[in-house]
Amino acid sequence: MFRIGLRDTKAHFRRFVMSIIAIALGVAFVVGSFCFREMLNDQVAQMMGSNSDADVYVRGATEQKEDGEGGVNSHTYNEISTDVIPDIEKVDGVASADATHQLGNAVLLDRNGDAMTTVGAPTLVIGFDEHDPWRSTHFVSGGYPRTDDAVALLEDTADKAGLRTGDTAKIVIDGEVHEMTVSGVFTSPSTQLGAILILARPSFVEHQLQEEGEDTSSVQYIGVYGDKTTPLDEAAQQQLADRINEMLPKSADAHAVTGASVRDESTKSIQDQLGFIQPLILIFAAIALFVGAFIIANTFTMIVRESMRGYALLRSVGASPLQVFASVLIQAVILGLVGSGIGVLLGWGLLEAIAKGMTSGGMPLSGSPAPSATDVIIGVIVGVVVTIIGATLPAKTAATAPPIQAMNETVNPEKPVKARGWLGIAMVVIGAAFWVLCYLDAAKTVDWQWLNDLGSGWTLGLGAGFVVIGAIVCAPAFVAPAAKVLGWVPSKMFPVTGKLATRNIGRAKRRTANTAAALFIGVAIVSCLGVVATSMKTSVSNLVDNNVNADYVAMTASMSQPISTKAVDAIEDTDGVGASSPIYMLPTVKVANATEDIMPNTGNIDLFTKIAPIAQQDGDAAKAVEDGEAAVGRTIADDEHWKIGDVIDLESENTSVDEEATKQASEAYQKQVEQQATALQQEAQQLAASGDVSGAQAKAKEAEDVVKQAQDVDPKQFVKMKTETKKEQVRIGAIIDDSLYADGVMISLPTAEKLTSKDMMMVTQMYVQAEPGADVEHLGKDLKETVKPFYTVSVLTRDEFKSSMSSMINSMLAIIYALLALSIIIAIFGIVNTLALNVSERTKEIGLLRAIGTSNGQVRGMLAIEAVILSVFGTIVGIVVGVAAGVVIRAAYESQGMTTLTIPWDQLVLFLVVAVLVGLVASISPARRALKQPVLDAVASE
Amino acid sequence: MSRKTTGAPAPSNDPVVAKAVDLYKTYGDTDSQVTALNHVSVDFRRGELTAIMGPSGSGKSTLMHCMAGLDVPTSGKVFVEDLEVSSMNQKQLTQLRRKEIGFIFQSFNLVPTLTAEENILLPLQIAHRPIDRDWFRKVVGVVGLENRLDHRPSQLSGGQQQRVACARAMMERPSVIFADEPTGNLDSRSSREVLGFLRQCVQEYGQSIVMVTHDPRAASFADRVLVLSDGSITQDMDHPTYDDILAVFAEHDDPDNGPVEVEPTAGKEA
Repeated sequence: MFRIGLRDTKAHFRRFVMSIIAIALGVAFVVGSFCFREMLNDQVAQMMGSNSDADVYVRGATEQKEDGEGGVNSHTYNEISTDVIPDIEKVDGVASADATHQLGNAVLLDRNGDAMTTVGAPTLVIGFDEHDPWRSTHFVSGGYPRTDDAVALLEDTADKAGLRTGDTAKIVIDGEVHEMTVSGVFTSPSTQLGAILILARPSFVEHQLQEEGEDTSSVQYIGVYGDKTTPLDEAAQQQLADRINEMLPKSADAHAVTGASVRDESTKSIQDQLGFIQPLILIFAAIALFVGAFIIANTFTMIVRESMRGYALLRSVGASPLQVFASVLIQAVILGLVGSGIGVLLGWGLLEAIAKGMTSGGMPLSGSPAPSATDVIIGVIVGVVVTIIGATLPAKTAATAPPIQAMNETVNPEKPVKARGWLGIAMVVIGAAFWVLCYLDAAKTVDWQWLNDLGSGWTLGLGAGFVVIGAIVCAPAFVAPAAKVLGWVPSKMFPVTGKLATRNIGRAKRRTANTAAALFIGVAIVSCLGVVATSMKTSVSNLVDNNVNADYVAMTASMSQPISTKAVDAIEDTDGVGASSPIYMLPTVKVANATEDIMPNTGNIDLFTKIAPIAQQDGDAAKAVEDGEAAVGRTIADDEHWKIGDVIDLESENTSVDEEATKQASEAYQKQVEQQATALQQEAQQLAASGDVSGAQAKAKEAEDVVKQAQDVDPKQFVKMKTETKKEQVRIGAIIDDSLYADGVMISLPTAEKLTSKDMMMVTQMYVQAEPGADVEHLGKDLKETVKPFYTVSVLTRDEFKSSMSSMINSMLAIIYALLALSIIIAIFGIVNTLALNVSERTKEIGLLRAIGTSNGQVRGMLAIEAVILSVFGTIVGIVVGVAAGVVIRAAYESQGMTTLTIPWDQLVLFLVVAVLVGLVASISPARRALKQPVLDAVASE
Repeated sequence: MSRKTTGAPAPSNDPVVAKAVDLYKTYGDTDSQVTALNHVSVDFRRGELTAIMGPSGSGKSTLMHCMAGLDVPTSGKVFVEDLEVSSMNQKQLTQLRRKEIGFIFQSFNLVPTLTAEENILLPLQIAHRPIDRDWFRKVVGVVGLENRLDHRPSQLSGGQQQRVACARAMMERPSVIFADEPTGNLDSRSSREVLGFLRQCVQEYGQSIVMVTHDPRAASFADRVLVLSDGSITQDMDHPTYDDILAVFAEHDDPDNGPVEVEPTAGKEA
């Protein structure tokens, strides 16, 4: 049997090409998704290896409870004081110990003075110098910065900025431009994924942080090198950590661990955060494999049908059903192996291409995305199993059909699809009911506690699951009616071929429905996302159109780079500016008596009255805020069950430089130096007295050195920070319904200033209205001129503002179209295959048609219409389900800003046009096959 | 494209509607060559029902297939209405099938998705030709299918299906209808009905029909019976009786043919 199976495989190989492609695609996605995750993991691990390269880390000894936010696997410990650094440095085997600080809010300007941006990667100014070096780096030219106005740049950064050692680099930190000399250019073992890395002296970085109110004297980690050039192995790391732990006093509440363990931990936590990408890819792998299994089932049905006589012969000469079954299944296994093999290579190639694309897109990756042995094994197993599943039913038919029936070529009539239809409809109804519940809940038409508890995620998900599966289940029952409706137009245009095609569609209902399902799922996902994205876009633009009366909006390049107070003042002082208001975010302020994290905002009163007047509210927000009360958004008020008159507790943790403590520390150091110097001088005098002149001179020199050293010491290192918590109780004076304010809490500027200093407030947006009568266009030019010195601030017109807010949505739409392209390719395979099977089953009928005068063009036309009806059927069901899902999702997230429902009709029409093209393309090869068959073979009666 | 006018078969004075000139056809490669037609020349006369008989492998089907442009002869020529079929390309063949030739096969004559009426009208629609309703009613009346017109083939008996196929072939009024074992799958009563209809077409409407059969009773309906043996025509009988035909086969004593009284495999119809 094995030999027969093998020979059959060879004979059918051409037939198998499509199945192989389908399996290969599915396996490619599976392998690709695993490889992609591994590639990301590699990158993260490499970055950890080069960026957290200390041999030992000293960190807090007490684990902190995290408030459920962020990664599941990230452990946080108490912060430790940098005071322990000198003690650690004294430990035997420690080459250097250092708490590395970095600034995340800097912007580097390139040669031409334009702010440099990255694709998601950060711009970091990191404190390193010769005393506290970064072991993993290697300088290609120059060296570490020696002064506070020098920096070293990563080679990738320097190349992109067009800067070289000796040039002057402009760095904007907190709105202030620093002109700094490039002291050197370095490389690091990891590519840093396109991040812009700038090394500055630690004292400079710490000073900047202190300006921003960050306490630099307590840190999460202190990095310890055992050697300044070569990393220690794990055993040596452990020994060093043990020695440090012996020394660390209990009061420091600190603990030393090996560098390797820290790297592993943080690598894992970042990898977990990136983990969501893989399931997304796997959805498409599942679609590809579903189509693959289906194509294989079709192909084997064809082969088995054609080989029926052969199997009957085998059976009649005594082969057992099991042996026939095996001979078919062997073909499936071979097919699966070949397909999976190609798939693994394809997935690998795909990843190489992605890596190349990311590198050229400014996100260089290092390492090879080659699949691991596990990936290959998983891919091959998936491929083979899917193939066997696809081939099992046809193989069973081959094995169990009675020899006599097998001899006669009859197409068994299909089992009725009515029961399936009802079951599917029931599922769709249940799913739709979930969606309706979700919709009603979102629209607040009903207020059932259990529904609120269930949450919109569950109702949406359950609804989608039921609807999608139900649609697939009931689709066969709707094939015939749908064909009638969809076939109406072609039947009018091509009376004969249109009619034939329309009726043919209804013949193999299950097959037709399954083929359409591949397209259906892809189109449903895409049109759902399309509706959501377009609704988001119009909501944003409507929000701006209807609610914002600003003529210009000043924005920052990034959240980490707020508009500085100076810039705010400059904009306010520009000629022609009427009402204006920055939106201050208060990152240090929390609402203590709220169940969720709420960060209040503040702005000028103009905001409520002129710039974004409130249309619907309880109370009067402008008056309330003016009186020092709070105005709360409706969404928050509902969630927290707040009413007008309730009181919210605001708390702010403010960190600032403790002048007193700083002075004391500085004085204490002076005193210590004086004492040391005095002691040395006394020793020198004693030595001089005892006649040791050279010894005395040496001692005197030592004393001088101590004094000199003390003079050189950077006073910044004595800076002490203090933290104080300020509290305010504020009455809620108004609840605002307008969606612009719906999820915010607004307090007055004076209240905010009582809680925290203006330096601690962040401005990311500032709205500007022209003075009545002022030339709006002229004002725009003036404003652009005004913000020029601040580099990172840009002034946008209303339209620019709208498009800037929808640019993210546009890139999301680009991804949607990529996904659509993918599902189309897979769907084409399915349609081609189904048509091929149909053609093979209808060999005689097509022969008959040609014998009575049907031209080749008419046969092609008939198959093309069939294919088009099939693909349009799948597409329309997909669009209906997808749009419905989009409508419900939009409603569910209405309170989060998706106020307007927009259905992207142009996109949907485009999908239909594409569906027609897909059908036409898919019919080419089956038609060729149908016409290759000689008429005589088809009609000759044997 | 010159369309044929509707109405009676194209008026032509030529008494020969189709002819084979020195037809030679072999199958297989040089090692195992089978000669199906051995230099056959024959004229088929207009307005006659010609039956081609012969045992299995005698070449009767090959002759008809070559005549109908379904198969290409190794050498020799085929003419239908003075058009050389044997040198036609696909496009010309399609036109030939639309205008000059009608087919009735042994089985699988009808498109299963179309009703009887749609099947009958299919050739005209494919050829974009106008439908002559009077002629349609006449043809349907002759085959007795008035009440079955909106039935699908699966709802018709074997005999009814074959009658639909006959009606379809007649509907386009081709120069010649080729019938390949039209009664091969039918019981005797249905066979008689179908053969009677073919007879009627020839007699009343002057239709030319060439029919391949190995049933002497079917052949006895013909105006002329050709008998093929080993690729050559061995007998050419004019209006033979059933007994004449039986006599010929008795002479041949071909064991393949079996006892002549036995009808071919019974059809589905009760």
